Amino acid sequence: MSEMILQTKGLGKRFGHFAANAEIDFAVRAGELRAVIGPNGAGKTTFFNLLSGITLPSDGTITYKGNDISMAGGPARVRLGIAKAFQTANIYSDQTVGQNVRLAALARVQGSFALQVFRRSGRLGKVDEIAERALERVELGEMMHTRAGDLSHGDKKRLDIAIALATEPEILLLDEPVAGMSIDESRRTEQLIKKLAAEMTVLIIEHDMEMIMGISDSITVLHQGKVLANGTPAEIRASKTVQDAYLGGHSESEIA
Amino acid sequence: MTAQGLIQALLNGFILGLIYVAIAIGLTIIFGMLRLVNFSHGAFYAIGAYVGLVVTQKFGFGAGLIAGPIAVAIVAFAFDRFLLRFFYDKEPTSQILLTFGLAVIAEETLRLIFGGTTQQYPLPDWLKGSIALAGLQYPAYRIYMAIAIVAIVICVWLFISRTNYGLIVRAGVRDRTMVQLLGGNVRAASTMIFAIGAGLAGLVGVAASPIYSIDPQTGFKFLIPSFVVVVIGGLGSFWGAVAGGLIVGELSAVTTLIYPGAADVIIYVAMAAVLLVRPQGLFGESEVIKG
Amino acid sequence: MSSSPSMLEATPTRAMRRGGDLAFYLWTAVGLVLFPFIFRLPIFNGYGGLATQILIVGIAAIGFNLLLGYAGQLSYGHAAFFGLGAYGAGLTVLKFFPQAHSFGLAVISGVFIATLAAFIIGSLVVRLYGIYFALLTVAFAQMVYFVVFQWRDLTSGDDGLQSIGTPAVNFGFTKVDLTSTLPAFPLGPFGDLSEIKLWYIMSAVIMYLVLAFVRTLVRSQFGEVLEAIRENEERSIFVGFDPRRYKLAAFVISGALCGLAGALRALYDGSAAIDTLTVEQSGAFVIYTVVGGVGTIFGPLVGTGVIMWLENIVSAKTGAWRLIEGIIFVAVIVFLPNGVIGTFIKKGKGKFDLFATLRGKK
Repeated sequence: MSEMILQTKGLGKRFGHFAANAEIDFAVRAGELRAVIGPNGAGKTTFFNLLSGITLPSDGTITYKGNDISMAGGPARVRLGIAKAFQTANIYSDQTVGQNVRLAALARVQGSFALQVFRRSGRLGKVDEIAERALERVELGEMMHTRAGDLSHGDKKRLDIAIALATEPEILLLDEPVAGMSIDESRRTEQLIKKLAAEMTVLIIEHDMEMIMGISDSITVLHQGKVLANGTPAEIRASKTVQDAYLGGHSESEIA
Repeated sequence: MTAQGLIQALLNGFILGLIYVAIAIGLTIIFGMLRLVNFSHGAFYAIGAYVGLVVTQKFGFGAGLIAGPIAVAIVAFAFDRFLLRFFYDKEPTSQILLTFGLAVIAEETLRLIFGGTTQQYPLPDWLKGSIALAGLQYPAYRIYMAIAIVAIVICVWLFISRTNYGLIVRAGVRDRTMVQLLGGNVRAASTMIFAIGAGLAGLVGVAASPIYSIDPQTGFKFLIPSFVVVVIGGLGSFWGAVAGGLIVGELSAVTTLIYPGAADVIIYVAMAAVLLVRPQGLFGESEVIKG
Repeated sequence: MSSSPSMLEATPTRAMRRGGDLAFYLWTAVGLVLFPFIFRLPIFNGYGGLATQILIVGIAAIGFNLLLGYAGQLSYGHAAFFGLGAYGAGLTVLKFFPQAHSFGLAVISGVFIATLAAFIIGSLVVRLYGIYFALLTVAFAQMVYFVVFQWRDLTSGDDGLQSIGTPAVNFGFTKVDLTSTLPAFPLGPFGDLSEIKLWYIMSAVIMYLVLAFVRTLVRSQFGEVLEAIRENEERSIFVGFDPRRYKLAAFVISGALCGLAGALRALYDGSAAIDTLTVEQSGAFVIYTVVGGVGTIFGPLVGTGVIMWLENIVSAKTGAWRLIEGIIFVAVIVFLPNGVIGTFIKKGKGKFDLFATLRGKK
């Protein structure tokens, strides 16, 4: 068994009296493609927010490569190699597609702050190199000069992934990467995720069960803020507990 | 410092605080409902005060008290219909700039019409005189005004908590789209709230001017402390405005007694302290920090 | 598609950029040289002293705009840095180093004090947004006003600093008195060369450097990130930037430029007035910048020029100047959301847009 790159122990997040996440023990191997699923309101997004540093935990710890990063802020985690693509494409709409990824590459090259008031970033050759590679991987290379806000919905979401890639992550968090995409776009994105999974650890939240069952190495099911089950796609599909949790108010088709 | 001096200061602070409360409630319900940062709120106070003065000189103080707020509500209605509504959903920065510009225009128009000098308000005889209170003679008018403001605050609170409009206001604060979906006429309610909030400032303008006198800059003089009040209390919070107003009033009054030079600055120190420790204000919800 | 690295750059090719640079440096220099003479034409009816004042105050507006236009934060307290620059320079001449009587030292002290204040205040305010940011800057500016006002022994309170004078500028090999004028030489409708004091040359040179600096900064790596943060702070955090440090840096540079303007103003006037520290003064920077064009290089300078020039002309004729100013300000917000300059610049990429709603952008 290879090393655990990311682990949580007793992780919890309370908003007032409401526990959005509680006692989450979670571990993912380097190189794994892990899906996090669960009914709406199960706490998936909160869990991702805790991992990426958008919110800080109320209880428990997050360990990354053996170091406690529970209280590290967003920029620090990105620098450590944890990047995130958002549920709703989070991009710089008024800038070109190329500039969107360049900024992420710039952050990777220069760090979280640099008082470079005289030098242009164009002087940092490596920035363009990283940015270009990221764009090519999501097949947006030809859209480089398009204003990001003018992209189609699917392209915006793939650009968001490219931005995350340009930070050169070791773990990529994808929050519903194919939500709202056409069938064709979903397929392309699915292929993309498979390719990425070969190079890095990928954590994915997704409602498209067909896709999840097809691509994941393993699946974690969240329910009411807690871990309900862990296992391979086949195990999860067969699990009685999981079926009950989903069927409690949810249609059967959602899981099948 | 004598005990009497202290009591006097505390009373003065209470009166000033109540005036801040009444202005700040308008400011805070406007923010709560319209998400509008209204820098022209001080100008509403001043317009109310001057209209009230003109009417008082002709028809008496009672007429002034009615005319001031009505005139201001009309002005506010026009502001809202023709300019402000385009800024409801804009970033706060441009709202501040626009309402600041309107406030400058209002102030300077008042200066052109009435001149830059300080004006005294004529009070009818029945409001003059003083009342024995806690061992000192306190101007009767201030007491009456305090009672009136408390009554008004209660009325506004009843309006917000008990009427359909108030319901829309409170729901609109949380989720405008939802209220619209449910068929609430947010737009009409917004305009009405704006006019009421402004009218309230106009009313206070008439009511407070016999105590503090007026000049064209009066608007800005009350504007910034009123913002201090709502920030301390929590922008958008009704009881925050009440608590903030009284805190700021007493703080100014007591500081005036101890170290008059610092009376103006103390409220900024208080506001900075609150903003740095608890940016959402004493009664605010944390979600509004980015507002 | 084989793309060379330069294809990715947000800006045009290097050759085009060189051309743009040259045009900027050349035309800015030409403009600053010609300004006082054209300003003297009967239709403008300006004078050399006013031209100098516009350039000096324009530096503060440019500094203010760095924060509003490029970091997206509205400060109503920048008078604090302007005033501290003025008092810092004045006190250096009068009290701190009277025997040195040095122009350069006075300017440096003024800038230093303003920068220090901007660092302290900035560290506290950058975490806030919108109205909270604006009010907290007002609060700190009022505290600075209070301290300067009350510290009578040092600052003379209400009266301000008087008879600072203008120390000669020591270039080492020669000393130059900025209040002396150029030699007499009639220029027809452009007045006479002797109407230009050396002060104008000094302020024009500084303005030139400030414009070049701000333009470079805006296009630099730093400016690029600042713009990214203004457009989408959340995404910027999650690509790995630290927005607070960027905003603080912008705040400090902005405050330093206001301090520079204040120091020059005090040395030019020979006095530092308490008025330089008021909310009204802060509001003036807001007005200049918005009228000229938020988020543009020349906008704040143009706005300062237009408003100060109009004020000079209109207030001589009527007492309604402030009313007219207010109307201009509101009219610009409503009808020219990108300001006088912004209206002429087509490229609206990521520009601060006050009135996008009306034009249906949102």
